[in-house]
Amino acid sequence: MSAASLNGSHLIEADGISKSYGRVQALAPMSITIGQGERVALAGPSGSGKTTLLYLLAGVIQPDSGDLLLGGQDLTRQKPGKEKAGLVGLIHQQYDLVPHLSVLHNVLAGRLGQWSLFRSLISLVWPQDRHVAEAALAQMGIADKIHERTSHLSGGEQQRVAMARLMLQGSRVILADEPVSSLDPARAEDLLEILTALASDSDKTLIASIHAPHLMRKHFSRVIGLREGRIEFDIPSEEVTDQVLEKLYDLDRSEPFVWGGGN
Amino acid sequence: MGRRELRLLESRRLLTLLLAGVFLWSLSSVDWKGPLIHTGGVGAFWDFLSSLFPPDLSPGFLRLALTASWQTLAYAVAGITLAVLIGFPLGVVASGSVSGSPRTGLGLAVAVRFTLAAMRSIHELVWAVLFVAAFGLSSLTVILALALPYAGILGRIYSELFSQVREEPLRSLRASGASPFRVLLYGRLPMALPDLLGYTFYRLECAIRSAAIMSFVGIRGLGFEIQLSLNDLLFGQVWTLLLFMVGMVVVVDLWSTRVRRSLVS
Repeated sequence: MSAASLNGSHLIEADGISKSYGRVQALAPMSITIGQGERVALAGPSGSGKTTLLYLLAGVIQPDSGDLLLGGQDLTRQKPGKEKAGLVGLIHQQYDLVPHLSVLHNVLAGRLGQWSLFRSLISLVWPQDRHVAEAALAQMGIADKIHERTSHLSGGEQQRVAMARLMLQGSRVILADEPVSSLDPARAEDLLEILTALASDSDKTLIASIHAPHLMRKHFSRVIGLREGRIEFDIPSEEVTDQVLEKLYDLDRSEPFVWGGGN
Repeated sequence: MGRRELRLLESRRLLTLLLAGVFLWSLSSVDWKGPLIHTGGVGAFWDFLSSLFPPDLSPGFLRLALTASWQTLAYAVAGITLAVLIGFPLGVVASGSVSGSPRTGLGLAVAVRFTLAAMRSIHELVWAVLFVAAFGLSSLTVILALALPYAGILGRIYSELFSQVREEPLRSLRASGASPFRVLLYGRLPMALPDLLGYTFYRLECAIRSAAIMSFVGIRGLGFEIQLSLNDLLFGQVWTLLLFMVGMVVVVDLWSTRVRRSLVS
């Protein structure tokens, strides 16, 4: 482990990473460093590359070029498994739980990287680490749903199950793809409260795609604005004004954006 | 691209024309002067149909029909159970979803798929003939003769059901550090389970049919009794036995519906 990651300044180091799908460039070569415990909001219109960037950081997809170091380790060469699971965890937009399993087993699936094969097998009959799952669900406020079939839960509840799974996974970085996009304002506020508390409890890094300016300012320390696969700005969240975001999301804009330039 | 489609269309038309020609040519071999249908058969068939009333419902015969049904059902259940035990692991391997390295996984999957195809390409009656030669007229013969082709069928379908489940939850499990085998346990298996069970029950119905016709190699059961009654021209008894046959399939069907419903809700 490098000195940089030990002192917590650069948990994530991306150097010139890019990604294309066929002829479409989803992400132009970009470099970002993110430290331990930082709370980063990704802003930008649809198709700006937010999800691509999150998936790259999660190691779900591989960059076409560039280096990506996580905790000093090359994420692009790391096979999925225990170590990677300890580094990054991802909450998908659609939660992506196994609908046929009970809530308990979906939460316990966060331990599959740590358990032996035998333990994973018997857990389906005699749930292992049950108290940890109960505690996680209690923290998410859905302790009473533990024995329900996951497909019977509402979208918001399923999202909390996905977060409880992430708690059991215990990764150092939490990535969330549009975590509040389908929630009403009160629930969105509530969810980010839980998510940021979860991150700051154990000094985890949180990176989430968010659109509402007041949520960025309240829950995040840093905002990265993306547009057409490029970084438009990377600023502390106090500096995010409605005007800055309006320009980022402007549909008709054709001239190149000049950050900090008067004209 | 367009040209290739056109060529495909043309060759398909050519094939249709060829097949139609073969059919027309085959008509020339029919002797149109003589009667097309063996008219004497109509009378025999009518005798058979009309003897449905009354089917033989005497207590003694019912007891015999019940015993024969029980025998057939026992063979079918034992055969399917063994087929599941063999077909399930083979289906898992054939789906290519549990191996760590893609290349060895693919090689193994192809080999297993070939084995499954070989097992089901031989009819259960042919297996039965082979096993009678080896083990004689024993229960083992029937069970093995049923289990092998059915394991070939089940393994093939299981492997397809395992690879057809939604990919996103699996990806999410992998992100939690789950190995391919754990992804199978926590993702593929629970998601495919209702279909796996439904298909297995359907195959149990088929196995009942197959167990019944094991009479062709001399195995006792419903088919055996039907054969005896037919030889004695006791059509009333035949009908009773056929009703038992239909009854068993209906009961399995109802059972399967109940099990599936309890799984889904």
